Amino acid sequence: MKWTAKDLDMYMQSKEYVDTVLIPLVPLSFKGQMKQTGSMNEFLTILSLEIEKQMKGRILLLPTFHYFSDEMDKVERLKGWVNEVKENKFEHVFLLTSDFEWKKEERELENNLVWIPAIPLEGLEIEQAREMINQQVLQILDIFSYNWKNEKK
Amino acid sequence: MSKHNVSRRQFLNYTLTGVGGFMAAGMLMPMVRFAIDPVLSADKGGDYVATKQKVGELTTEPTRVDFSFKQVDGWYESEETNTAWVYKTDDGKIVALSPICKHLGCTVGWNTDKTNPNQFFCPCHYGRYTKDGMNVKGTPPVSPLDVFDTKEKDGILYLGQLKPHGEA
Repeated sequence: MKWTAKDLDMYMQSKEYVDTVLIPLVPLSFKGQMKQTGSMNEFLTILSLEIEKQMKGRILLLPTFHYFSDEMDKVERLKGWVNEVKENKFEHVFLLTSDFEWKKEERELENNLVWIPAIPLEGLEIEQAREMINQQVLQILDIFSYNWKNEKK
Repeated sequence: MSKHNVSRRQFLNYTLTGVGGFMAAGMLMPMVRFAIDPVLSADKGGDYVATKQKVGELTTEPTRVDFSFKQVDGWYESEETNTAWVYKTDDGKIVALSPICKHLGCTVGWNTDKTNPNQFFCPCHYGRYTKDGMNVKGTPPVSPLDVFDTKEKDGILYLGQLKPHGEA
């Protein structure tokens, strides 16, 4: 489900079935990395929407968590988000990003960080891009299914 | 000067008739257009979308068929990709099922649950459907998978409207 009025209506009616939150993490920068952050934004937007489409009934896709690359308290801020989500009875929180910086914080985040290198989609034919995204989605869905199966019942 | 002089009265008559005619036409045209509109509008219900699937290559095993179409989504038009699970029944009839789970809208896969082979399986809440799209009792979905209208043209599979099971 997406963060739209219609989907949230659906969420409120079937809360007990939705136990997973997905938060895409996208950096912003006005310096040398500016273009890369653009690529990441494009890639993660499409990827997270595709994942949401496949797993609509169990995943709530939160609006993207944006931060500036050199922002000091981004880790604290993200932790705040995650805590808020957990307090609202979500058992699984997945963080999806292409920014390598988060890999260093993985231990501290205690969540399922899915790091996936961004494919620069702007140079690809639409068919190719779709195919590549589909493959990535399948892999990520595997991670999700694995986590769901291993939860304590 | 030409020999045939136009009098002031004639000149005014001509211009008034001309302008008046234009105005009348400007008013009448939209009215006529509205009146016959139902005749001109295309029949939306009969829209079939071509897939890349050759009908001859279909088997009794459900295959994933992707197809794309233009969708107007409130603000902008986008190219939407959709999927169907298509197979032939034993007597050669083509069945195209929607992959959208009737429970909460996840995408179902064919034969992806190892403990329940030859069924459609929804990974979200482990809902299951038999091959003909009927929901398995005891799993979350409460109704069978929707069915696409199908059509064959030049050996290519065309998919049409999505309908509840049993109405296609």
